[in-house]
Amino acid sequence: MRALILGLVFLAVSVWAQPILIGFQGPLTGSWAVEGDWALKSVQIAVEIVNARGGILGRPIQLVVEDDGGTPKGGTLAAQKLIAAGVKFVVGTYGSMVCMPSSELYEEEGVLHINYGCTRVDLSARGFKYYFRTSGRDDSQARFFVEYVIPLFGAKRIAVMHDNTAYALGVAEDVLRFMKPLLDAGKLQLVYYDAIMPGERDYTPALTALRDANPDIWYYTGYYPEWALLLRQGKDLGLDWKKIKAVGSNACPISEAVKIAGIDAVMGAMITQEPLPAFLVEKYTLAKEFVTSYEAKYGPIHDSPWATYAADAIFTLAFAIEATKSLDPVVVARYLRSGAVVGEGITGPLSFSPEGDRLGVPYMLLICNEKGESALFDPAVHGHLVGM
Amino acid sequence: MRLLGKRPTWLYKQPVRWAFLAATIALLLSFPFWASRYWIDVGFYVGLYALLGLGLNVILGEVGLFNLGHAAFWALGAYTTAILNVRLGIPTLALLPLSALVAGGCAWLISSPIIHLRGDYLCIVTIALGEIVRLVLINNPAGLTGGPNGVIGIARPVFLGHVIRTPLDFYFLVWAMVALCAFALRQLQRSRIGRAWNYIREDEIAAEAMGVDVRSLKLLAFVLGAALAGLAGNIFAAKMRMVSPDSFTFMESCLMFCIVLLGGMGSIPGTILGAALVVLFPEIFRPVAQYRLLFFGLALAATMYFRPGGLWPRRRAVEFTAGRAARP
Repeated sequence: MRALILGLVFLAVSVWAQPILIGFQGPLTGSWAVEGDWALKSVQIAVEIVNARGGILGRPIQLVVEDDGGTPKGGTLAAQKLIAAGVKFVVGTYGSMVCMPSSELYEEEGVLHINYGCTRVDLSARGFKYYFRTSGRDDSQARFFVEYVIPLFGAKRIAVMHDNTAYALGVAEDVLRFMKPLLDAGKLQLVYYDAIMPGERDYTPALTALRDANPDIWYYTGYYPEWALLLRQGKDLGLDWKKIKAVGSNACPISEAVKIAGIDAVMGAMITQEPLPAFLVEKYTLAKEFVTSYEAKYGPIHDSPWATYAADAIFTLAFAIEATKSLDPVVVARYLRSGAVVGEGITGPLSFSPEGDRLGVPYMLLICNEKGESALFDPAVHGHLVGM
Repeated sequence: MRLLGKRPTWLYKQPVRWAFLAATIALLLSFPFWASRYWIDVGFYVGLYALLGLGLNVILGEVGLFNLGHAAFWALGAYTTAILNVRLGIPTLALLPLSALVAGGCAWLISSPIIHLRGDYLCIVTIALGEIVRLVLINNPAGLTGGPNGVIGIARPVFLGHVIRTPLDFYFLVWAMVALCAFALRQLQRSRIGRAWNYIREDEIAAEAMGVDVRSLKLLAFVLGAALAGLAGNIFAAKMRMVSPDSFTFMESCLMFCIVLLGGMGSIPGTILGAALVVLFPEIFRPVAQYRLLFFGLALAATMYFRPGGLWPRRRAVEFTAGRAARP
């Protein structure tokens, strides 16, 4: 009798609560392992939240995790592994050139693919049916820098520096594109535009050239290890961040820069950034729940927007599957492309353009305050740090 | 320390060797029909790295030239294919020989002035070479390479009206290439050139004294090895449908170096085995995610410790001129 009951319970569980498989592809090893780790943790928290609310269509989500090592080749193998595991929905990955060949495989196999950390513009221009991203694009950040940050400081002499990686060059070129009318009209002046070599130890030559160009504002579009070194060596060289406003792009988390370069070198430096969870909690209820659960399990919340977008990709899937009552990627993809707001995620309303781009990604300007923390830039509070 | 003790002589009997070869070919041919898509793709990468390893084996294994910049020639082949296909619309498969030719030609140009360097000195120059090629690609000369973004939208190769697109197609394409190259290289090993290469590896001065044209033979090895890497580059570009400098890092050159050392210098089956291990190890250790490269490193170190000559070292052939009794 007991065996029969157990058997029935087992049967009931297997019928009713058969988990929905969702794949996660990210760089758990390699040069971007930190981002991969944060993203995986965030995705796991998002899955826990959804499961605690009763799952999707009454079924729990089960994650299938694959590491792509942050290389294009690793990306294809991870994608094949997920496809072979029978996954129909995938969240991933970080880095546009890693994403490109993997997303092609997902498209061919009809796997709905939500990207969280690739901002290259033409990723969504390939006419794919199953490709979406919860993050913004390179040019949305550039537009923010040109249309908001430059007028905020009344800067006239602009310096742009990148590190020649796909992402950094993309942002830098978009900044030039958006500045072009202003440059042509003589309202702005581009005094410095050059690339540095990532992975080097000494950037003094580039910084000397930057100092000689005497810009009002210096925009570095690249990754945090180099930015931290630039700030440190710039400080040692006598560059004054009150005179030259140092602005980094969104791959320069302030906490990491402080770890490498120290508070004194990074203080007063700013970054253009997608909204971080720490600043979202006041606005969105889901963000509050997410941050609380994350901090209870893993300690202080990371300040990477990409990991947050990865969590939002899970919520997008949960909302969209629930709304369509379908586990068919074709149906879910069609619904997502309609432009409807599928729900309110951690980073605000989740809706997508017919190309799969996230609609309306807001940006913000963060500053490293006296304590070495990132804070939302407020001229009244932080003005003295940047000589306003 | 010898882990396996003395090798039994029956392993080298001709029928046993043929049977072993037949079994390997049967395994490779039947593999895709019982393996999943994922494992077929892993099989493809084993073939690709085998091709790269075979190329480096000519340079490093046969002649003993330390080359830690082999990824540069791979990149040249891949970019030749990508640029000519995307700009001029030349079919990808038709670019296969051209990619090999460009990589080989560049190898000739680049290695001519440095070929007299020995050991570590050559090694350092090839490291620099690998980095220079990668940086040139990043710097987007004449707007050709697309800089760090690379070149995207490479057409799928078409073979006799059949579009090569699935993992299965690519698996057969790459292994057909490996088989062809392995056969040709084996013939070369047994030729005058092959023996002269080995002579140079063992004692360069003695070889020169005996009238072996050391410089030309070294150059030939370099060009041939680079051409094979160019071939692999073409297939890689066709498979990924995009090329970017991130794929051709110094780490890749190191992996190829490992393949040849792991397998056994100058050993063709050893190189293929080495490629299989280098690709398979990180895949097998996927369940331990973050630590898989640690295990990979440990496995490499252990192999080098227990079998310093490689896993499948080349057996030295004893040959005699006609008319003399063969005494072992």
